[in-house]
Amino acid sequence: MDRTQIKQALREFILRSVRVPALGDDEDLFESGIVNSLFAVRLMTFVEKTFAIEVAMEDLEIDNFRSLNATAGFVLRKNGVHAAAAD
Amino acid sequence: MQPLPTEVHKARHEEFKAFAAVLVEPAAGEWDREQRLPDAVLAALGERGYLGTTIAPEYGGRGWDAVTFGLLSEALGRTSCALSGVLTVQAMVAMALQKWGSAAQRSRWLPLLASGQAIGAIALTEPGGGSDLHALATNFAAGAGERLRLNGRKKWISCAQFADVFLVFGKLDGQPAACLVPRDTAGLSVEPITDLMGFRAAGLAELDFRDAEVPAANLVGKPGFALSHVAPVALQYGRLSTAWSAIGLLRGCFEESVAYAASRKIGGGSVGELGMIRSLIARMGTDLEAGALLCHAACGAQDERLPDGFEKALMAKYFASRAAVRAAADAVQIRGASGCHGSSLVSRCYRDAKIMEIIEGTTQVHEDMLGRLFVEQRRDG
Repeated sequence: MDRTQIKQALREFILRSVRVPALGDDEDLFESGIVNSLFAVRLMTFVEKTFAIEVAMEDLEIDNFRSLNATAGFVLRKNGVHAAAAD
Repeated sequence: MQPLPTEVHKARHEEFKAFAAVLVEPAAGEWDREQRLPDAVLAALGERGYLGTTIAPEYGGRGWDAVTFGLLSEALGRTSCALSGVLTVQAMVAMALQKWGSAAQRSRWLPLLASGQAIGAIALTEPGGGSDLHALATNFAAGAGERLRLNGRKKWISCAQFADVFLVFGKLDGQPAACLVPRDTAGLSVEPITDLMGFRAAGLAELDFRDAEVPAANLVGKPGFALSHVAPVALQYGRLSTAWSAIGLLRGCFEESVAYAASRKIGGGSVGELGMIRSLIARMGTDLEAGALLCHAACGAQDERLPDGFEKALMAKYFASRAAVRAAADAVQIRGASGCHGSSLVSRCYRDAKIMEIIEGTTQVHEDMLGRLFVEQRRDG
């Protein structure tokens, strides 16, 4: 999956789970309140399952999950792909 | 996914029920009266690997799926929710550690938890906080030499009377944090809580931390993620186990009621021929089937690592614990006076069932969370 496909999958999951009309690529998921404590772990599980990665303790950084772009970059890094190359 | 339970699950469930029939059922009433679990039964759980069913084999665990873990909770919950409570908190600590612990924490603690050489407990609830986890007042302060200094109190902590290690939640620089605190830590005192209505053998205690120091390396996960990521993994297993325990309790009430209704004579017939009694048993049996289906769905989703596993676990625990309360009340009603005596299983179930509705999140907390989830997921059009 490339960055665009990852963002699309993330966007569809979030819009299916949370009542927001739209979601920009760089919209802050935490400051906007989209990702609350109830949703954070569900989103993480979706990321792990969909992109076949394991989120570990060292990955627990807000910057890895702050936006669609940030999460897509994190997924690509975990899969050993340079984000810039896939962009 | 295969329909649940599979033949392997069914065979393991029979094994668990046989264990319970020999080592739990004859003694559970005594444990309840004495308000303690004997070391021997905890050792028996450990010897069979029952305290580490979900821990990965690389750490000495069984590596069984959530369904199997649930069926073990069900088999023990049939006659002793206090004993299944040990499975609950053990899995909560172990799975939080397996997911978010450092390599050093995992290699030190998981083999001990898997074998039962160590019992874990979750120290989340506080005297003034109750269900409001964000109101954590326990303070973690950075001490000298890469150490953390803990101050605060925890209350209603299951298995704390005999636990060897606690996964403690508090705040570090205002951020929710979790850390492992061995029982022998200086500055930690454990005060047993007795005379609970139910769950009396589960070894509840209050914990008092007064400048209790542990290495900073004992932090589990990173500060800021304790309530959003660490606690939910623990609570997921807590809810699955509690839901299944409630189903076990419900099964006990159902089986006792059916047997009693068939054998108890009244007016030339049996109690079971009375329509009003049949109504109670019908509801019990249907709740048992529905609750088990919800539990299987939740465990299946957990095993498939599906995001909706969390809401399915909420639904399973919400439904099963409420159904257990109804069933226990009806089971006592069916038995009449004999059901009110302390020697009857259903009288203990009556007291224990209410606890199932409170631990790992009250019914009202579940309604709030599920209601919010359902509203958020409603799509226009």
